[in-house]
Amino acid sequence: MIVAVEARGLGKQYRRTWALRDCTLAIPEGHVVGLVGPNGAGKTTLLRLATGQLTPTRGTIRVLGEPPAASPAQLARVGYVAQDTPVYARMRVADHLRLGSWLNHGWDNELAQRRIRQLGLDPRQRAGSLSGGQRAQLALTLALAKQPELLLLDEPVASLDPLARREFLRSLMEAVAEHGTSVVLSSHLVTDLERVCDYLIVLVASQLRVAGEVSSLLASHRRLSGPRRDPSTLPAGQDVIEQSHTDKQSTLLVRTGEPVRDPAWTVTPVSLEELVIAYMNPANDIPARRPRLGVAS
Amino acid sequence: MIRLTWLQFRAQAVTGAAALAAFAFLLAATGPHIASMYAASGLSSCQGSSCENLARTFLQQLKADGGYSWLYLVSVASILLAPAIIGLFWGAPLIAHELETGTSALAWTQSVTRTRWLAVKLAVVGLAAMAVTEGLSLMQAWWAAPIGRAVGHGASSGGSIFSMNQFSTLVFATHGITPLGYAAFAFTLGVTAGALIRRTVPAMAVTLAIFAVVQIAIPLWIRPHLLPPSHTVIPVTSLESTSGSTQSTGSSGNSFVLLTQNLPGQPGAWLLSSGTVNAAGQAVSTAPAICFTPSVENSSSGFVGCLADHGIRETISYQPASRYWPLQWTETAIYLALTLALTWYCFRRLNRRRS
Repeated sequence: MIVAVEARGLGKQYRRTWALRDCTLAIPEGHVVGLVGPNGAGKTTLLRLATGQLTPTRGTIRVLGEPPAASPAQLARVGYVAQDTPVYARMRVADHLRLGSWLNHGWDNELAQRRIRQLGLDPRQRAGSLSGGQRAQLALTLALAKQPELLLLDEPVASLDPLARREFLRSLMEAVAEHGTSVVLSSHLVTDLERVCDYLIVLVASQLRVAGEVSSLLASHRRLSGPRRDPSTLPAGQDVIEQSHTDKQSTLLVRTGEPVRDPAWTVTPVSLEELVIAYMNPANDIPARRPRLGVAS
Repeated sequence: MIRLTWLQFRAQAVTGAAALAAFAFLLAATGPHIASMYAASGLSSCQGSSCENLARTFLQQLKADGGYSWLYLVSVASILLAPAIIGLFWGAPLIAHELETGTSALAWTQSVTRTRWLAVKLAVVGLAAMAVTEGLSLMQAWWAAPIGRAVGHGASSGGSIFSMNQFSTLVFATHGITPLGYAAFAFTLGVTAGALIRRTVPAMAVTLAIFAVVQIAIPLWIRPHLLPPSHTVIPVTSLESTSGSTQSTGSSGNSFVLLTQNLPGQPGAWLLSSGTVNAAGQAVSTAPAICFTPSVENSSSGFVGCLADHGIRETISYQPASRYWPLQWTETAIYLALTLALTWYCFRRLNRRRS
């Protein structure tokens, strides 16, 4: 497995507060990764660490096997669109493309020009007068035309209206499918990413909650409902992510490697949104991945 | 990277070039007239003591035409202010504006390392800063050369700005190579303040404040001591007879003050301090009471003669005219060393990636 982003014990502290804490993860290449978490969860910090905009306070991060921003060659392999898609307000659209061609050896000018044409952007227009959606598209064009192996996008659709959002993701997916680029895109709403991502990372309160392929996450989580029951009496291998109880009934969201055979339960699959919301809820105490042995109750 | 630097710096460069052109036009329009007045004054072929009178006449002519005093002052002020303006408008925004608008995330994730990005920016804009400032200085030096030569003959037009010699604070700071040092320092100071404060306007304010303090502190407290000053003890009388620039002022009680402007035998020297000593070499600030009596003050040798009779001499510390270039080099080297230190800090700061 080739690792796109590998973090070990990664932490970033700003003065007294930790923006990201003890984050260990390995994102394999070839995925479209959704990085989801509430505002302030550390998504931007993780992406800025991955682009070398920040240096870690603790731990290490390697991107495509190299420390971020270590060399022009490493920089060339990673494309990045920052939050709020900054562009040079006083420069024209065409200047941005020239800038890209000057600063990137792998620059695909034909691709850049074609995208600008397709988007209907006027090359002579100043970037400062573009709409939010156009600006995001310009920033994405810059990132795509350098032909990166990995594309990191920080809340690229947050400021876009639903139509522009759909259009942005569609053009992103087209470009990605064409070049086989790995993508990490963050959002505080999983609904933004549901249609496009096949790998999911949930960050809450500066800590990693869950990471994995969407298909295996969906396969390994079930909603159980049935007569009221103490969750601690569940068999080993069924970890409770979320629970709610009434006087008579219990509803649980469990993570399990095997099918649930207990006939007392009504077992239903969970949607990605339900799953993410369960992991995002700070009240839910997420158990460790492996069932702890010797916990008898 | 050079092309990007130029693309971003273009507007500021055009402003700088326009300022330079306006300055050149103003001086080119008036300089030849000063030169012709100098040629007509006969100063270029004068001998001995006649020079001083000719020079005085020339300077008074210039002063009579108010425009030249004004131009002289404006041109000197422009050269003094240029480094500060460059530090504020070219230096401070260089990094701060990128951080402020978030475009640093765009600039620093292209396939160019941050070190190279900064190196090219500092080199291109920094050299432009030095070129503009030194350009102003050289043009003004050409324009004011006749004035400088006249002042060098020991003349002064009586307290006007045309009596400043090469060591006068304003003249020293605007000629020679010091403007290069100031421009480089002010520019990197602005860049560093921007990198630290991360916001353009506060960075500009801090740049201005620090640069002003340095520009005041160095001539006041550091420049006089850059090279060990020379000392000499001269009789009070000789001052009176050779230069006529010793004045006894204020005979309140029996204390007195000597105001020395020129040192005999040391034309163009920079007088740092003077004091009076008695025959035994001890510093004194009072003269014998007898020297203040009307009979002495009205006598042929006068007050100064009386001082000399009582063994009172003047002790002077100064920098000889030959120290002009060593002082210029030393001061410029100090500014360039500060520039290097700030540059090193900027690179370190940028690569620590705390942005």
